[in-house]
Amino acid sequence: MIDRTTRVLIQGITGRAGRMHTRLMRGYGTNIVAGVSPRAEPVDGVPAFTSCAEAVAASGATASVAFVGADALLGAIREALDAGVKLIVTPTEGMPVHDAMAALAAVRAAGARWIGASTPGMAVPGEAKLGFLPEVALAPGPVGVMSKSGTLSYEVCYRLVRRGIGQSVWIGVGGDPVKGTRYADLVPYFAADARTRALVMIGEIGGSEEEELAVALRAERFAKPVFALVAGRSAREGVTMGHAGAMVHGDAGSWASKRAALEEAGARVFGAVAELVEAVAAAL
Amino acid sequence: MYLLEHDAKTLAAGFAIPSPPGCLIGEALPPGPWVVKAQVAAGGRGKAGAIRKAATMAELDSHARAIGAMSVRGQRVRGVRVEQDVGPAQEAYVALLLDPAAGAVRVLMAEQGGVEIEQQAAVRAERAPLDGIEAAVRRVGAGLAPALTEAGLALAAMFRACEAVLIEINPLFVRADGSWLAGDLKLITDDNALYRQPALRALVERNAAAYPEVRLKLEHGFDYVVVDEAGDIGLLTTGAGLSMMLIDELRARGLRPYNFLDVRTGGMRGDPARLIRVLEWIADGPNVRVVLVNIFAGITHLGEFARLLVQARAAVPRLAVPFVVRLVGTAFEEAEQVLGAAGIPVTTDLEQAVAKL
Repeated sequence: MIDRTTRVLIQGITGRAGRMHTRLMRGYGTNIVAGVSPRAEPVDGVPAFTSCAEAVAASGATASVAFVGADALLGAIREALDAGVKLIVTPTEGMPVHDAMAALAAVRAAGARWIGASTPGMAVPGEAKLGFLPEVALAPGPVGVMSKSGTLSYEVCYRLVRRGIGQSVWIGVGGDPVKGTRYADLVPYFAADARTRALVMIGEIGGSEEEELAVALRAERFAKPVFALVAGRSAREGVTMGHAGAMVHGDAGSWASKRAALEEAGARVFGAVAELVEAVAAAL
Repeated sequence: MYLLEHDAKTLAAGFAIPSPPGCLIGEALPPGPWVVKAQVAAGGRGKAGAIRKAATMAELDSHARAIGAMSVRGQRVRGVRVEQDVGPAQEAYVALLLDPAAGAVRVLMAEQGGVEIEQQAAVRAERAPLDGIEAAVRRVGAGLAPALTEAGLALAAMFRACEAVLIEINPLFVRADGSWLAGDLKLITDDNALYRQPALRALVERNAAAYPEVRLKLEHGFDYVVVDEAGDIGLLTTGAGLSMMLIDELRARGLRPYNFLDVRTGGMRGDPARLIRVLEWIADGPNVRVVLVNIFAGITHLGEFARLLVQARAAVPRLAVPFVVRLVGTAFEEAEQVLGAAGIPVTTDLEQAVAKL
């Protein structure tokens, strides 16, 4: 994963979001070593270059956070991969799904890891964060967190932190249907990670990612307790609620389908934030 | 965006995918007998009685009136399509759909279609990358009636051109002479690609009433859905997942939220216009008796948000209901002062806020 020594470059560093989050991430301790922007002007003391290749050559960056528009995101991911970046985090919302399919193929071919799109980012609390997970909800601790939804994960982690329970690693996988990293991809990591004593999965209706997670938990014989929250129990079929992935067609992707799959895999599934927080607090 | 069948078939005609002659009710009718079909973005129309056959004009009129007043799976019917009943044909199945886990497209075919297609063992399937759909269609269709491969190839072109996530013809009418027609056509496209899909955008503009959520997103850049027209709690919330969860939790307590909203405070840029618009929409809810504001702001300055909220509330006097406000983030104390001066209490605890509703 990442730690305070991970060398990070920011694509789109001179834009409004790029500037602000460069400052906030550095304030948290993230080791930002370079930026990329057509203007190539330094931001907050971080040198900027006109291409990823130059930025990587000059700085030795191995990870990137891209603050670029949805229409430019596929190009930004390809550029980072071509420059040899091995971890790419893309908070951008609204990436077209056909672009995401092309990006995923490129990421796999390069042997890299992509977190996003539509992710609030990832963090190893006390070490570094890539993206904009809010500090009020971040604290070092034993819970591995993975979430499709930014704000719902903020709410859950904020309440856990107020109960004295922090996170080992927090990864926002994003709410898009095709994405770089899915819940199931993270199961082997959380199984092996000694800091992680429990797993919190924050899901929502639509797609099959929660069901895939259930399959992966069983395949891995995941032995740590898993606490799951699935939003959208009362949503109507055929209507997208904010996230491109959160649409139910027929019975596939429904709340009931997800709960059944997760419970069969040994996870506990909750219908309210407070219930999940109580259960995690009681277990740890 | 889940297209109405009529719109999907009209688009498909441009990709050499023919359908039985048809029109919306009120337009010039094809020759009878007819099939009268509810236009609604939900499956299960046949089982719901929202697709009926008509042999006479009187039958057609009465079916159209009945179907036009129906709801299917909680959604109001948005229109009625009348189609010529083309008579007996083999009913097959061809579909292309996004496989998110694989980042690929699934090609599906069966010589026998029907309503329970998901349960059929005889469905052939293969995964393909976006640029390999045609080759997969030819492999999957080998040995089946040639019409399936022909339809699949036409769908492949449409899938890419419209940036679809799902296209399904079920049933695909295959006639004795080998010709084929799309009996039903289901098309779901990618909302995120609408900015570069002028034909789809134009369709939404032409028929805004049928695609209210997409229309709003296109025009305003955020998501708003009326979830219960009789609901009495207006929601001014940010974050899709948290807003969905909040609706679930309120309903579990027997409360009736009126709307879903992901207002995206980051997109307001110091202007109350977006909040005013949202409060106007909430004011349209005939039973709304309270507004719950829930903002968990990673970045947004809550003092600024509070000032915008006070301005917006003053700009929509017809929404004369109490506000319950829950905020977490930067500059909470400033927000508390601003809202307190306007007589609006604020808390950091969502459970406390919900208890006040």
